[in-house]
Amino acid sequence: MSTADDIYARMRNSIQEYDEAEAAAAAKEAVAAGLNPVEAVEKGFAGAIRELGEAFDRMDIFLPQLVMAADAMKAGVAVLEEAIQAAGGKLQKKGIVVLGTVEGDIHDIGKTVVGAMLQANGYEVHDLGVDVPSPRFIQAAEDLGANVIALSALLSTTMLHQRDVTELLRNKGLQDKYFVIIGGAPVTQQWADEIGADAYALHAVEAVRVLNEREAEWAR
Amino acid sequence: MNLKEVVKRAETGPLMEANDFLMKRVAAGVLKLQKEHNIRWDGKTLVNMDDEMADRCWEAGKQLFLQTGVYSMNSRRVIEFSPEEVEQGLRFAPAKVPMGQGKEATVVYHRRVEDPRPPFVFGGPFNADVHESTFVKLNEAFAQERLIDALLFPGYLKELDGLSIRPGSGLSSRAAVLYGQWAREAVRRAGRPGLAICGHAVMALNEIACTSEEWGLRQSDPRAMVLISELQADDVTMSRTMYYQGYGCPIYMAFTPLVGGYGGGPDGTAIVAVASFIAAIMMGGEIVHIGPQHIKYKQQTNNHSLFLGSLANQAVARNSHIIATTSHTTAGRPGSAQYPYEFSALALSVVPSGSNLTGPRPAEPLGYNDVSPLMARLFAEVGQAAAKLTRAQAAPIVEALYEKYRDKLTFAEAPKGQPFEELYDLDSLTPTAEHQALYDEVKEELVRIGVPLS
Repeated sequence: MSTADDIYARMRNSIQEYDEAEAAAAAKEAVAAGLNPVEAVEKGFAGAIRELGEAFDRMDIFLPQLVMAADAMKAGVAVLEEAIQAAGGKLQKKGIVVLGTVEGDIHDIGKTVVGAMLQANGYEVHDLGVDVPSPRFIQAAEDLGANVIALSALLSTTMLHQRDVTELLRNKGLQDKYFVIIGGAPVTQQWADEIGADAYALHAVEAVRVLNEREAEWAR
Repeated sequence: MNLKEVVKRAETGPLMEANDFLMKRVAAGVLKLQKEHNIRWDGKTLVNMDDEMADRCWEAGKQLFLQTGVYSMNSRRVIEFSPEEVEQGLRFAPAKVPMGQGKEATVVYHRRVEDPRPPFVFGGPFNADVHESTFVKLNEAFAQERLIDALLFPGYLKELDGLSIRPGSGLSSRAAVLYGQWAREAVRRAGRPGLAICGHAVMALNEIACTSEEWGLRQSDPRAMVLISELQADDVTMSRTMYYQGYGCPIYMAFTPLVGGYGGGPDGTAIVAVASFIAAIMMGGEIVHIGPQHIKYKQQTNNHSLFLGSLANQAVARNSHIIATTSHTTAGRPGSAQYPYEFSALALSVVPSGSNLTGPRPAEPLGYNDVSPLMARLFAEVGQAAAKLTRAQAAPIVEALYEKYRDKLTFAEAPKGQPFEELYDLDSLTPTAEHQALYDEVKEELVRIGVPLS
């Protein structure tokens, strides 16, 4: 019979090998062995995915590997989460993020990188896709009980819609309920200040850093 | 291939999610082909000199394209092509495209590797945000630079009548009309009324409102389309291509492969770039612009992009007669010496690799009017000088230039520079003494390190 350390090693390996099925199987083995599922998330998956996030930042691995690792982790965590819920508990997630590229803008990759990096760092990410109408961000945040709304825009012409989201939030009196972080090639801190966004991030790594550092502001 | 067949396939091709297209077709395809064709970057080379690797890169890129096709983002269907159709498409791709009118009529052409003919220069504001109040002056200042062969993207009007412009709105249609009128006015004022204007007025379908033989952009002006990374096209791009092809304009098709993205490193992304060159031709492009993006850096003069640009351009130049041009975006801004050092490094890498020139411009985020016509002159001069060099002669110069800015590649680290209105006297449309001195000083340094500038 495998020891706890063997099972954690199998879980870590599944992430390093980007293997979704193996991550789910390793998580099932952890549950069957009676390991604490919360501890298993941390010892089995979290360290491995953080290491891959760092490797991505160094460009030792690239976007496909990061996405596959994030998907593997998602599959494994889903199994452990089921076990936690069955025991009447709830897996503590870092935060819930609603993410998308704003209306009129069909650029996908930037926000996909941000989503994968946030997921790799323990956030629950709901990717709404591209060309997302401004009200949909707010509706999704309300429906999902999100903490953070993350808005990507790659064009200087479409970044205007980031302003629409912050304006809509103010109009609905929801500006203090959600932490709005914006990014994209033409976007600057100055623009974030101008439209009343809570934060700006230059790239995915910075988005993670900003959200980690400012948890007190979004965990409200 | 007829564009009508392409748009039909956008409605009838296999249906799939974008993520599956990118992961299963693009990313998985690159991984396999990169291994099979042994496309590797050694971590040091800035200018590729391995002809065999360039040829293998072409083969890998062509095979990748046959496996991927182009993803239609709105219909979620894949536009697929047979090997015979790709061969036909490449065979009938133009090797020369005329543009402009009258005394300014000119021709952009396919260049070979180490082609001694000077590159064609697309120079201008390059879609920088341009103030309504300075739009004509700025473009006139570019158009009066005689080494510029076509005025490139006269600039985005972000605001009009004191309001921000929402894409697709009535106000953006007005912006497109004014874009056409003002760009034409600018080239007239510069004494080059027939100068080709490479246009991309606003980011929406109503962009076509800039078109008028009388006051705006004409049939003889190329129009720019952009494929989305990687190997994707949206309805607006296909609709604009259909309209402009029907109108008879030269089609300038851009793509922006992402280093660190679905293609992996610069070597894998070079395969994606070759596939994208072919995709651009199959989607109706006649002049194909490569503008590599980078997952960490916003600009195109980092070591990865220098290598990628040289390898992909050589692959295309050696194995097809596609007319290629490479965009130049930098971390340093106009008004700083880093700006010309960066664009010179890239020009010296891609011109001997068979490319024409597009640019230069600083990378996003941009301030208003963040460009310099005087630096466009230097860009063209460096391009002409680069055509006199072999890759082996250019490579050490590229390395010397790269050393000058390699530690200042991010927006935060790079020098900020100044906007056009601080670099030029707006009455006389001449550079300030300080800006002229910077030009002289940089040119002297370029000559010192071996760039054969006259």
